[in-house]
Amino acid sequence: MAQIDLTLAPAGKKKSKKRSLWADAWLRLRKNKSAVAGMIMLATILIVIYSSPLYLDYDNDVIKPDLTQTLQFPAEGKLLGTDELGRDVLARILWGGRISIGIGVLAMMLSSIIGCTLGAISGYYGGKTDGIIMRSLDVFMAIPSLLLMITLVSIMKPTITNLIIALAIGSVPSVSRMVRAQVLYIKGQEFVEAIRAQGASDFRIIVMHILPNAISPLISQFVMEIAGLILAISGLSFIGLGVQPPDPEWGAMLSSGREHIRDVWHVTAFPGIALVLTVVALTLVGDGLRDALDPRMKR
Amino acid sequence: MSNHYIEVKNLKKYFQTPGGNLHAVDGVNFTIDKGKTIGIVGESGCGKSTTGRLMTMLLEPTEGEIFFDGKDITKLTPKEMVEYRKKIQIIFQDPFSSLNPRKTVFHSIAEPLEIHKVYATKAEKENRVYELMELVGLSDRFVNSYPHELDGGRRQRIGIARALALSPEFIVCDEPVSALDVSIQAQILNLLKKLQLQFGYTYMFITHDLSVVKHFSEEIMVMYLGQMVEKAPVKELFANPRHPYTQALLSAIPVPNLKKKKERILLQGEITSPINPRQECRFAARCSFATEQCRQEVPGITDLGGGHSVRCLRIHEI
Amino acid sequence: MQKKLLEIKDLTIKFHTDDGVVEAVNKVSLTVHEGETLGIVGETGAGKTTTALGIMGLVDCPPGRIEGGKIMLNDQDILQLDEDEFRKLRGKEISMIFQDPMTALNPVFTVVDQIAEVIANHQQLGEKEAEQKAIEMLELVRIPAERAYEYPHQFSGGMKQRVVIAIALACNPRLLIADEPTTALDVTIQAQVLELMKDLKTRSKTSMMLITHDLGVVSEICDQVAIMYAGEIVESGSLEDIFENPLHPYTNGLFGSIPDIDKEVEFLSPIEGLVPDPSDLPKGCKFHPRCKYAQHLCSVEEPAFQEYSPGHYAKCFVYEGKLPAKEVKKYE
Repeated sequence: MAQIDLTLAPAGKKKSKKRSLWADAWLRLRKNKSAVAGMIMLATILIVIYSSPLYLDYDNDVIKPDLTQTLQFPAEGKLLGTDELGRDVLARILWGGRISIGIGVLAMMLSSIIGCTLGAISGYYGGKTDGIIMRSLDVFMAIPSLLLMITLVSIMKPTITNLIIALAIGSVPSVSRMVRAQVLYIKGQEFVEAIRAQGASDFRIIVMHILPNAISPLISQFVMEIAGLILAISGLSFIGLGVQPPDPEWGAMLSSGREHIRDVWHVTAFPGIALVLTVVALTLVGDGLRDALDPRMKR
Repeated sequence: MSNHYIEVKNLKKYFQTPGGNLHAVDGVNFTIDKGKTIGIVGESGCGKSTTGRLMTMLLEPTEGEIFFDGKDITKLTPKEMVEYRKKIQIIFQDPFSSLNPRKTVFHSIAEPLEIHKVYATKAEKENRVYELMELVGLSDRFVNSYPHELDGGRRQRIGIARALALSPEFIVCDEPVSALDVSIQAQILNLLKKLQLQFGYTYMFITHDLSVVKHFSEEIMVMYLGQMVEKAPVKELFANPRHPYTQALLSAIPVPNLKKKKERILLQGEITSPINPRQECRFAARCSFATEQCRQEVPGITDLGGGHSVRCLRIHEI
Repeated sequence: MQKKLLEIKDLTIKFHTDDGVVEAVNKVSLTVHEGETLGIVGETGAGKTTTALGIMGLVDCPPGRIEGGKIMLNDQDILQLDEDEFRKLRGKEISMIFQDPMTALNPVFTVVDQIAEVIANHQQLGEKEAEQKAIEMLELVRIPAERAYEYPHQFSGGMKQRVVIAIALACNPRLLIADEPTTALDVTIQAQVLELMKDLKTRSKTSMMLITHDLGVVSEICDQVAIMYAGEIVESGSLEDIFENPLHPYTNGLFGSIPDIDKEVEFLSPIEGLVPDPSDLPKGCKFHPRCKYAQHLCSVEEPAFQEYSPGHYAKCFVYEGKLPAKEVKKYE
């Protein structure tokens, strides 16, 4: 038997080496060209943006108006031109990206923690628990999420923390729904029953068996949701409820540049491009992650 | 109190559906002696899998008692049940969905040991996993493989190793070979048989295939729409099937033998709905012997002696 | 001798995947005569379904590719046809029944509409006439005409499979390919469907190719049998040849694996080992790693498909006279 097994072993797939699911996922991710492109884009964006305090001075480069240099077209020294207060657009994009991306990621983390918990409980226990949780979330779902965020921010003060909370609450209903649907599907699989038959507690079943299976197909959605949240922050800033001036933020920059769009295009175009590039990079990485995290994907 | 190892009394499971109560299992009685095997045979929707789930307490019975070694396990608290989980295990039909796709072979087999904290040290646990893999004929080079990398036969072996991890006494085998290829089926059946001889397991073998169960069990219970229709020691059932349904089932099996072509009893129609069944013999709609009486009265169980019992009104006439 | 309807010569189908080339079907030769039923038996991955899809011109391309061979239907090589001509062939000359009756019907059309559609596609008939013909087809598969206007979900599994058969037979095809037609059904329903297929076989002159893993089903309705293993035919012959005098060790192993309802045995005698990975097939005889009788020769050289007695072929060195025959016995 052992002899036969050896001859039948697919070449190059020796099973002696221990490799984790993550190492495996990384290997698959590396094979995916568009995901690699997305990762390179994202890494570049993150490095350039998050190292900006090293070469930019907040007071002098980012918020200090220079009324002699307003609305200058891109030129040497000011590569992306200046805005209506004569501030360097490039410096403000770099600094503002820290805020946009930072808020987006933190808000998504918060909402996925809440969303996974609610979704998992709701999906696993079903019945009344499910009814109560889902109907309460439906109330939130009934309001368009941007409107909900606007309401929340206007009730609270538009500080960074409140912004994160508002964004997180706005995306909890959809995250919970996604998680719940996945949990329902996985709960119905025999392996969950098998583990139950071993005497495992509900907590162990949910945390060790259901959630890992439920979340990985959703990770890409979560990553793309970050892109959505960055857009939402920009939207909020655009109507004046997001990041407050003089702090730069991509949406806020778009908003203030809007008045001059007929005369100078660069003030709106460059923050817009930064936003689009970040969203595209996140989406590519998200797509790649979805495929890479599924151990059944072999090709 | 009887001295049977397992005794099931009037077991019932109804599911609530929009159309009414679905009588999945409707008053089943049987006993199993230690180290023996009972075969539960029937077609889809007859309640055989539900019975298996009830026996392992994966489902709560609507009514009835399951005595395991003299103790009614349907009345246990969740805490007491954890202890019984070690003794009662189940092997599932589909080796593709019964394993967590994100766990390696090692983790799948070690899981029950971790849940019950059987071993204090990691080394002991590892030893046990390797021992189990050897027992079920899995080469240890697969220890870090994921289920999707293995074929159905090997996956089923993992499922068996996992069920054996806690040294159970009673194992429910829910169609353990029906998803496998013919040549692999025989390997798994032989393995289960070998394990029973070695460790004295008691089996409940659920299948739709009478020929599979024939080699396996001492007693066979044929189910139809949630009810037992016939129960007999295996030789008696094959030599002398009494219920019209058992007879049809036996004759319906295509035999790969040209010399022994038997007369086939063809059943008319298909299984009727198990939702709110009427007060009649549930097989009456398809039975060629059915009379008016069969459509008005629920037949009781007739004991023919020698452990052979049948649920049919016209048993003495047919 | 009956007329040859379908003749496959050295059909080779490969799948080019990232993991390498999968040789799904390797130099398969088959013949189906008019009015005859050929059973193709094999396990998962043996290449049965791929062969059938090859005949239907439905191999997914890419990754699949028919790399060689001929498929002659009425002396015409259908592999040379373009897609348009092939489409006319499907349903009219050759039709296929798939394994799962639950998904083979469109849930939003009535049963009669689905049959009439196929008829209207291939025959110049008016709507009324097509419908009339469809109802006749339903009665042929013993579904009462009054149920014709119901939707698939109102039918049970066995009835759905009968509707599928009715669709497949609607245009009187010359060849019907049935891919595991009863595997998804319960035993008593399987018996009904088999009985129906047997009856249809004697009534119409349609030839049939029945793909299955169940030797029991084969013994019920087939005239000729071909045993496939790892993309090759290892043995072929008449039903009597295969069942009374199986030659190849794999065929013997298959019989040994089946629990025989009429015998008392403690243990079955299975074939050891597993079906090989199709992207990494063993050298020499594909079956040698699992074969009880394998010798060194088997692992280096590939045996020929040798005629043992008229019409009965096997692919094993024993029948080429290169290995002693005493060991390969009939199954116990």
